[in-house]
Amino acid sequence: MLKHSSHELQLPLLSSVIKAVRTGIIVFDQDQRIVLWNRWIEFHSRLKEEAVLGKTFAEVFPDMVNSRTHIALREALANSLASLISQTLHKAPFPLYINAANPDKGVLMQQAVHVMPLDVAGQPRHCLVQISDVSTAVARERKLREMAQELQSQTFVDGLTGIANRRRFDLHLEDEFRRAKRNASPLSLIMIDVDCFKNYNDNYGHQQGDECLTRIANALSSVLHRSRDLLARYGGEEFSVILPETTAEGAERVAESMRTVVEALALEHAYSHAAPHVTVSLGVSTLVPEHSSQTSHLIHTADRALYQAKHAGRNRVVVFSEPNKKTG
Amino acid sequence: MFQLTELQHDALAEIFNLGVGQAAAAMSRIVNEEVTMSVPIVAFQNRAEVATTLDSPNERRICAIAQHFEGAFKTKTFLMFLEEKSLELVRLMVGQSLSMEELSEMEQEAMSEIGNIVLNSCMATLANISGRELQGSLPTYHVGTCNDILSHSDKEWDGVVLTLKIDFNIERHEIHGYVAFLLDLPAMNDLRDYIDAYLAKLTG
Repeated sequence: MLKHSSHELQLPLLSSVIKAVRTGIIVFDQDQRIVLWNRWIEFHSRLKEEAVLGKTFAEVFPDMVNSRTHIALREALANSLASLISQTLHKAPFPLYINAANPDKGVLMQQAVHVMPLDVAGQPRHCLVQISDVSTAVARERKLREMAQELQSQTFVDGLTGIANRRRFDLHLEDEFRRAKRNASPLSLIMIDVDCFKNYNDNYGHQQGDECLTRIANALSSVLHRSRDLLARYGGEEFSVILPETTAEGAERVAESMRTVVEALALEHAYSHAAPHVTVSLGVSTLVPEHSSQTSHLIHTADRALYQAKHAGRNRVVVFSEPNKKTG
Repeated sequence: MFQLTELQHDALAEIFNLGVGQAAAAMSRIVNEEVTMSVPIVAFQNRAEVATTLDSPNERRICAIAQHFEGAFKTKTFLMFLEEKSLELVRLMVGQSLSMEELSEMEQEAMSEIGNIVLNSCMATLANISGRELQGSLPTYHVGTCNDILSHSDKEWDGVVLTLKIDFNIERHEIHGYVAFLLDLPAMNDLRDYIDAYLAKLTG
């Protein structure tokens, strides 16, 4: 490209190009003194070329002494090793501002920094520091991350166990509650809690804890066969089952089957107060919804039955009954 | 295959343990948490053996950071992880846990920096012992099968590969990675000379 120009012409040309490029360029000599400081750096650092030329790294960047960038500079000058300083692990190594013209709104620029040894003919090795503004890329990635999170929360499947998640449970319960109201049919709910699961996690580790939950979820779902029955992961180690058109007796039978299949998994649990293996406690509640009934009542009563099951020694089924009524 | 005496082999393991010790210190400073690293295994292998070591006979995806070195020691080096391990390592370093299936652009850059730190530290220790100058390139990031990655000048490497198994310990998590050095005959001879120099210094 430059073949027609003489060397005398090339040098000022290259120097102008380096000054003008839209990326930060600083060159340090063997003694870590600044010998080149381009306009982009000048603008974003608010430090004029005249103020920094000939000064050392430590004089110009006192807060960065012995930082990773400083160590990289030393390695480049001493060992000729190149280093990458990533935005993700360092945010903003150099005190550079996005909108330097407006110091009051001084937002630090997110940077990617490359530190490279630079051979200069006839002189001891120099070091080239190149700084790129990655603020836009960082913002774009944050946006993507938020969208991915949003998508994840909108799905209906529990990420770990593959069964329905809490969101799906809430919607399904609303639907079935309305339907039961219209048809004046019984609707049952089972709340299930894994016994002493905290002890399990603490002693066997979270990975095995996750594995345990997945196997329980599989076992529980094997008990259900009707299309409108729904097993969901309600919370950490809590599951819930919606059984439309099911009486308390029917729900109790389902709950008992669920208790049995979990026990049959024979997953060792040396730290349980209930048994030497993994067990579950289940609370059952049934309701024929009336005009004013709410789903929260069904959940609340199933929860109370579950609490009683826990209290009575775990690994059992308790069916909720109103205090003023006989068990039905 | 390239052979070292038991003494030379132990010395080489010690040299690399020194190197990764420095890399771990640098990584600890970045995350403000204790990061420890060790090299439990040093081996000379051919390319196919490396693939087996990396548990990739099924062509599992490997994430690698590559750098060239010249001077004291001419080699192309790689820090390699099974892809899911690289996700785990970066997310431990960065402290984010969103489970995207691939490293994002910014995470790739962080991974490159981790590789840069580890490879530079290993090579700087060698350069120190040799007393000669070493030039290192910037890191590049690659994803592919072990065979895709272990190549030089776009040719699959048919020489010796020096592999180090590296254990990273961060926040009670242990992650295994591998460092591979592609060695031609002159590089192997240089390496043996440096080990002997190191041993001579130790024994006075």
